[in-house]
Formats: sequence, structure tokens, C-alpha cells
Amino acid sequence: MFKRIPSFALVILLMSLLTSNLVQAQQRFPKPEFDTGYVQPSPTQPEPRAMAMEYFDVFVLFLVLSLASWLAIRKRSRRGLLWLSIFSLIYFGFYRDGCICSIGAIQNVALSIFDPTYAISITALLFFIMPLLFALFFGRVFCASACPLGAIQDLIVINPISIPSWVRKTLGFIPVIYLGISVLLAATGSDFLICRYDPFVGIFRMDGPFLMIFLGITFLLLGMFYARPYCRVFCPYGVLLSWMSRFSKWHLSITPSECIKCKLCKDSCPFDAIEVPVEQTYRAPEVSRKNLRRFIMYIVLIPVLTILGGWIGTKSHVFLSRVHPNVYLAELMISQPELRADEENLDIQAFLESGDTFEQLVDEATVIREKFRKGGWYLGGFIGLALGITLMNQVVFRRREDYEPHKGDCFSCGRCMDYCPVEK
Amino acid sequence: MQSIKDASIKDASIKDASIKYKDEEYMDRENNIKIAHRVALISGMFCGIVALLLILNFWHMKQHEPLESATIEALVERLSNEPNSDVLKEEIRSFDLLARKAYFTSRWQIKTGTYLLLIGGIVLAISLKIYTDLRAKIERPEDVTEELLKARANAQYWLFLTGGLVLGLSLIAAYVSNDYLKSYQAMGGVEEAAPEQSMVEVIEVFPANQVAPTAGDSVAQDISNEELVAEASDEQNEPVVEATAQQPAAVLSSGFSSEDLKKNHATFRGYMGLGVSYHKNIPENWNGSTGENIKWKVAFSKHGYNSPVIWGDKLFISGADAQTRIVACYNRNTGQLLWEKEVTDIPGSPAAAPRVTDDTGLAAPTMAVDGKRVYAIFGTGDVVAFDLNGNKVWGRNLGVPNNHYGHSSSLQVWENKVVVQYDTNSGGRMLALQTSSGETIWDVNRPVNISWASPALIEVNGKIQIVTTSDPYVSAHDLDTGAEIWKVEAMMGEVAPSIAYGDGLVFATNEYARLIAVEPKPGAEYTWEDDEYLAEVASPVAYNGNLFVATSYGVLVCYDTKTGEKQWEKEFNDGFYSSPMIADGKLYIIDVGGITHILKADNTGAIVAEPELGEGGYALPVFADGVVYIRGTEHLYCIGK
Repeated sequence: MFKRIPSFALVILLMSLLTSNLVQAQQRFPKPEFDTGYVQPSPTQPEPRAMAMEYFDVFVLFLVLSLASWLAIRKRSRRGLLWLSIFSLIYFGFYRDGCICSIGAIQNVALSIFDPTYAISITALLFFIMPLLFALFFGRVFCASACPLGAIQDLIVINPISIPSWVRKTLGFIPVIYLGISVLLAATGSDFLICRYDPFVGIFRMDGPFLMIFLGITFLLLGMFYARPYCRVFCPYGVLLSWMSRFSKWHLSITPSECIKCKLCKDSCPFDAIEVPVEQTYRAPEVSRKNLRRFIMYIVLIPVLTILGGWIGTKSHVFLSRVHPNVYLAELMISQPELRADEENLDIQAFLESGDTFEQLVDEATVIREKFRKGGWYLGGFIGLALGITLMNQVVFRRREDYEPHKGDCFSCGRCMDYCPVEK
Repeated sequence: MQSIKDASIKDASIKDASIKYKDEEYMDRENNIKIAHRVALISGMFCGIVALLLILNFWHMKQHEPLESATIEALVERLSNEPNSDVLKEEIRSFDLLARKAYFTSRWQIKTGTYLLLIGGIVLAISLKIYTDLRAKIERPEDVTEELLKARANAQYWLFLTGGLVLGLSLIAAYVSNDYLKSYQAMGGVEEAAPEQSMVEVIEVFPANQVAPTAGDSVAQDISNEELVAEASDEQNEPVVEATAQQPAAVLSSGFSSEDLKKNHATFRGYMGLGVSYHKNIPENWNGSTGENIKWKVAFSKHGYNSPVIWGDKLFISGADAQTRIVACYNRNTGQLLWEKEVTDIPGSPAAAPRVTDDTGLAAPTMAVDGKRVYAIFGTGDVVAFDLNGNKVWGRNLGVPNNHYGHSSSLQVWENKVVVQYDTNSGGRMLALQTSSGETIWDVNRPVNISWASPALIEVNGKIQIVTTSDPYVSAHDLDTGAEIWKVEAMMGEVAPSIAYGDGLVFATNEYARLIAVEPKPGAEYTWEDDEYLAEVASPVAYNGNLFVATSYGVLVCYDTKTGEKQWEKEFNDGFYSSPMIADGKLYIIDVGGITHILKADNTGAIVAEPELGEGGYALPVFADGVVYIRGTEHLYCIGK
């Protein structure tokens, strides 16, 4: 323990430096100014950064990803990955207030594709693309050490429990749905759902709505026993990283050379991402025949589920479109016209004072709803397709003789490497 | 022997040293576990306490938001009544300073607490991690692993279930969601009833060209005497005139002259709806509480802000609540109730009344009477006609008005037409209905927003124009065809005051807009305008070269009609929702407290008397020779000697 103290003392020192301005700060009561129109800056949104600093952030991200890849694959250093994730937490989380992040950048990209009037910044685009490219070659190194949300959860893993794989697979479907809905809402200009329900940004900014803070603390407390709950059950960017990572040529491996099947690593992963060797019994002819039948059934079912999902998605356009403030406002004023007299309803009062006519609002809302009708097809189809493919994968037993990390689910944190007794 | 013994002694000492070292290591480890455990406990408690304090602070701030202090609000409201009070201003400033101090102190507390919680959390996480690491034991890997086939089968089952649940719930939500936008557009902008709002049932508007001359589903007729039958059959043979008709149909006079109309109080604000009464010997003193000069008073059974109308010896009044609408007739000399009829069996009438605000109600519009029939309209869109003996002649529903306060435009009647100004949130509209049958003579859409004002009539070059005021236009329509004659853009917001007319000028006003005078002709520009005192509800009245405007905050102002020059202004304790009326050379106006302020209707504004009713007053006074009728919030009074 005493060897560890200096290391963690460094962390505390770093945090103290960050907070030193608060310690030295005096409580000053600013004079109220009635004449100059001073507006107190909002604490919930970060100040815009200079362009040079934004490019610097991209550079830092690139460095972190590169270093994480080297640490995970070449150096095989769990300690290095840990310190790098602490740096990312401090830099991308607390210093940059958690914005812009690669997870939220999904929405920027979606909006820029579907809204010709929206120009995505190059930094947002790079924040979106770079981790995916690294995942394509080196696995989910972004999750290992660059993502501040992952880092904060990773650091408070105390006593993780292992859950059955069928629970993992079922919960693992939720991020797919979340991804679809987020993209649809962003593409229609309705809302940036991922940002709105980011549980940790309130902690990074030391400020936020009560619900946001409550969610963040709940996730952290949960994360002590169920490792990285947000990453495994909600993160929509993780879906994309998972797809990319499955094709990675150079991925973190448990053993530096050959697996001796000592099983020491089997329970080392707090995320249950280690795949055990597939016993021959699962590849026996009678099992294979049954799985083949199921496989063919799912192959046929995939287009059915896709079309069914798309149909349901388009039917859902009415309630989905209500997320858009214009649609919500128009329907509210149609269904409850007496609210026009309610002075406490700020949305309606702001609209009435805006000078726009109600018919204009209705026209805008109709256009938006039509976008949701079309987008619903894609959302539902995507969910149906993902469901079909996930089902299909359940009847495929790939040949595997060693203990390997699941390329899609492994966060490349490196914990398992320390359990392997094999030397390079 | 010695070397073996030495070797064994050496082995033993090494073994002892090894054991001792292991014991020391074990003790160190145990101590470290204890330390880590205690640090975790203390930091955990620290975090808990800080979190609790933060939550308490948050809850306290929610309950007593310093920036939304009720005290400051009350003081600011008082300041609006006493704008020159320095004491009040100082008080507001000091309370504001305290509120800001409290706010920024709270922000500091939250920030400090958050940092403390963060540091405590880090210490807790580190100590817990160390504790669990030190206590962790190397375990033998288990031979038993999860049964893969079973796990995969379970996964397929639960994936099917989850996917099915998500898609199924989405489908259900899709079918139970009401597409208000689609319904709104399908109805052409008329609101459709939402299923969860069972109180509202919007009826499709009665189109002009589908009215059959004989009674169909939409119109009920109940002719009670031969005269009415003969007249009705003659009128039914008249062609129905639509807004776009090329030739207006010939109409018959109601049979009464303008002198007859002046002798009675037939519509809202009297003759032609302009606020000037032609009656004499109007009382100036009374007291509703003591009974002084109160000839009679009755408690009317249903609530309504409409004013009574009079024809001959009969006084008509209406009232409504969510369940019933009634029209009543009193002997205006004795106060005896002659008849009271519930308005029912109106084809298309909604099953449940629409939601309206309490300060409007469902019976805000004043009735109209033309000597043969009395006409009433309610907030449900029901329009009904009774003969003067209480027999229902016809009734129809114009569609539940899309009106967030409640419909309040009163009816206007002239010759054989009942004119309905029906400007709602669904658009501007005006109709003229046959007095005998309720059939639509013309029905025009107008490019205006919702309005609560009532139509008035003016005579220009021998022709009657119907003049209305809405947002944004003050406009006039031809009485025979409904065609627009002129309009001027003047108003904005929620228009409630009706127009005034005098000296060849139309006057219109609304709060947050302006007060204008304009000639009633196409292309006219404002003759003058002002924005110092604007009425919110009460309609202005013009008389003898003076225009009188009453505001809802209790100011009464007199302007010269031709120049707009302010002649006088007077401020009273209570505001005015009732419109001023001119009678006998005097201006009568009732404030919300029930005091009638009687002033000389000239450029002196001398106060003649201020009798009290003893209860609130929102309806305007109605005159007949020697008497005045006032509908208070609880009673209907007849005042006279």
C-alpha cells in the first residue's frame, strides 16, 4: 500500500491544483448593476473556446489514442492505461467540461448529414471519426483511456460482479435503440438527447440540474459493483466502436504469446468481456444441425424484422415528433387553447410575443412531423435489423481454443494482462 | 555431526526468519487493511454528510427561491400604484440586495460543497479500492463454466421478448397518440375535440350553402302563431345569400323603426351598439345595500356577464354554467319573472361545454331583441331565438368557438338580420342569420385574429355598415352582403373594447395597441391617434364632440373627438370592465366594486354622483325612461324613484 501512496498522492495533488483557485477565492458579493445590462453567464454551458485551442484538443485526443494503443498492444501496461485514463478524465472531463466529446459528436454528424444549413465543425468531425478509426485498427482504445465518461466509471470499480451472458446480451441491445433514437432526434433538429442525458457532465462541470447530478451519482454508485454501467448499457457511441473493433487487426490480447489455458484470466475482466474456448460439444453435428436451422430461420427473419421495425417506426412518428419543441407547442396550443392565457407557460408566451402566426407554427410542425415519418422507417428498420443480427449471432459458435477478449465488448483496459503468467 | 547440526540450526534460523518475515508482512497487511477500512468509513461518512447538506440546501432554495421573492413582487406592485414613492423604492432596493446576497451565498455553498464532495469521493474510491485489493485472495479458477448452449438459448428468448416489447409498445403508443396537427388541418383550422378532454366537442361549422329552406337536421323551428308562420314562410322563400353572391337578396324590414329601437335597449350598448341612450330622467342616486331608490331586485339563477336588453315592458337576460344555458324574461316594472327557458335541443350543441375562464363564463355575450324575438348566443356556440312569450323559434350551433377565454362578442340585430361576430383562434368570421329562421344569409371569413369585441352599426351616406374591431383590423362590412367596405390596420393583442362613433369618425382602442380615430371609408388614414390611456375591456363612447375612454385600472379620460386633445382625466379606486354609457347628458360607468360614477358628459367631467350598488359590477347599465337596470354579480336591480 505504501508504494501506492505516492502515485495516488499525485492524483490528489493534481486535483488540489485544479481546485486551488477555489481555496484561495474570497467570497465576494458582486454589486448589482441595474444600468449596464450585465448578464451573469450561464453555469450550465461552457464558454466557447478559441479555435486554436479546439485544434489543440484534437491533437491531444490523437496523442491519447496513440499512446493508449501503444500501451495496450505493445507495452501491455495496465498501469500506463490507468494513468492515461486519469489524465483524460482530468483534461477532457473536468478541464474541458466534458464537451465536445466523441459520444455527443454522433449527433453533430447526424444533423450535418440531414440538415444542409448546419455546418459541422472540423473538430467535432474529428472527435467523431478518430476513435472509430483507431477502433478499426487497434480496438476500443478510446474506451480504454480517452473517454472521460469511461474513465470516471473505470476508476471507481471496487467489487464488480459477473452477470449471466444472456442478461448482458439483452442489456446490450439498449444502446442500439438509444443510438437509433439519438440519431433520429438529432437529424430532425429536435434535440441532442445524448448530451441532455449525459449523466457525468454535471459532475465534470460541478454544476447541473438536480436530475443530472442524481443520475451521475447513481451511475457511479452502481459502477462500484457493476463495472461501467453507462458504457455497457447505454453508450450509443460504444455500438459504433464495437462494430469497428470487431475488424481490428491489432487488438489487445490477454497473453503476450500463446495461451496455456491456465484459466487465471477467466474471472479477471470486470466487464465479462473474456471469451472462453468453445468446447467441441457445441460444435457437435447434432448441435450444429439445430443451430443451422435456427440460423436459416434468423436469416429469413432479418428482412421481416427490418420491414416490420420500419413500419412500426414510421407509425410512431406522431409521438416521436413531439420531442421537437415546435411540434409540441403547436399540439399543446391546439389541444389546450386556454393555455394561451396562462402567463406562467413561458413557451406559449414566448411564441405569442414572437410575432409568428399560429398557422406558421402549424406548418413548421407539419414539416417536422413528415421528417419523423420518413425517419421512423430508418429507425425502426435499424432496430429490427440489429435485433435480427444479434439473434443470428446467438446460434453461431465460432471456433476458439484460447481465452480471448471479445473484440466488440472489450474496453482494452488491460486488467486481464496482469493475470496472465505467460511472459513475452 | 557438528556440520549437520550447524546446518540444521541454520535451516531453523532461516525458517524462523522467514516465518517472522511472513508474520511481519501479514501484520503490515492487516494494519493496512484496517487503515484503508477506516479511511473509507470516514470519507464515506464525510461524503454522506456533505451530500445531505447539499440536498438540504437545494431543497431549501427550491422552497425559498430568493430571486422570486413574493415580498419584492408585492412591493413592485405597490410601486406601480405609487410610482413616486421614494420610501417604497428604497425598500425594494434593500430587499433586492438581500435577495441577491442570499442567492450568491447559496451558489458559493453549492460550489464549495461540490468540491468537498468530489475530494471526499476520490478519497473514498481510493481507500475502498485499496481495501478490496488487500482483502482479495487468489482463487482457484473454477472448472464449472456457464453452460453456453443454455445461455445462448436464454439470450435468444430474452432478446425476442425485449425486441417484441419495444416494438409492441411503440405500436400501441403510435395508435393511442392523437395527431392533433392532422385533425386541426383536416378541420380547416377548426379545433377537433381531444378524446381526453371530454368536455370539448367541436361541431363542424354550419356551411351556408347547405341550409335547406325547410327545417332540416340543423335547424329546429317552433312557430307558435300565425303571424310568425306567415312571416317565416315568406322569409324562407328568400334565396340564401352567400358571401360571394353576385346579387344581394331583397330583405324585409323587421317592421320596427329606428325610433322604436331608440325607445328600447335592444342590443349591447343600446341603439346601434354605440353606447348612447335616448332615455330621460335617469336616476342619479341609489344604494343597493340600503335599498334606496331600488324598485326591485332579483337574484338571477345563473351566472353571466351579459347586460340585460329591453323591449317594451320586458327585460331579457341570460345565464349559463357548464350544464345549462338559460334565457329569462322579467316584467321590467315589477321584477316578476315571466318566463325562464333552458336552451336545449340545439342540433349540434356539444355534449360538454368548452372550458372557459371564470372572468368570461359561458354567457358573456349580451342578447339582442327586435320586438318580435329575442336572440341569445352562448360560449358553446349555441344561438337561439325565442319569441317574446318564451317559445323557442329556432336554434342552431355555429361550432364550439376556439376561444381560450370564452366567446364574448355580443349579438347585433338590424332589420331581419342577427349579426354574429365569430372571430376565434381558428380565424376571423362574421355571419348574418335570418331573424325568423336562423338560416345563414351570409357568412364571411375575415383576415383577423381572435377578438372579444362586439359589432356596432354606423350609418354612412344612408347605408348601414357593421363595424368590428379585431387584431389587426378595424373594419366595416356591408350589412346586406357581408362584403368588406373598408378596413384600417390599427389593433394588436387581445381586442375586447368595441368601437365608438361620433362626428363622422370611428374610434377604436385596445391596451398595448393605440387609440385611433379614423374616417369610415376605404384608404382612410388615422385622423388622430394616442397611446396614453388605452382600454383593455370597456368600450369607448362618443357624445357631443367628446370621446370617453375607461381603462381597467380605473382611469376615465375625455378626448376631443376631432383633434384627440385630452380634455380631462380622472382616476378612481377601482378599475372599469363595464363600458361607459351616455344617458340624459350624463356619463354612467360602473366600476368593478359596483360604484356607478355619474359625470357630466362634456369637457368638464364634473362628477354628479357616485351611488353604490353593494356588489360588483361588470355589466353596463341599461336605461329606460326614469329607470336604470344594473346587473350586479349577484342580483339584477331596477333603480328608480
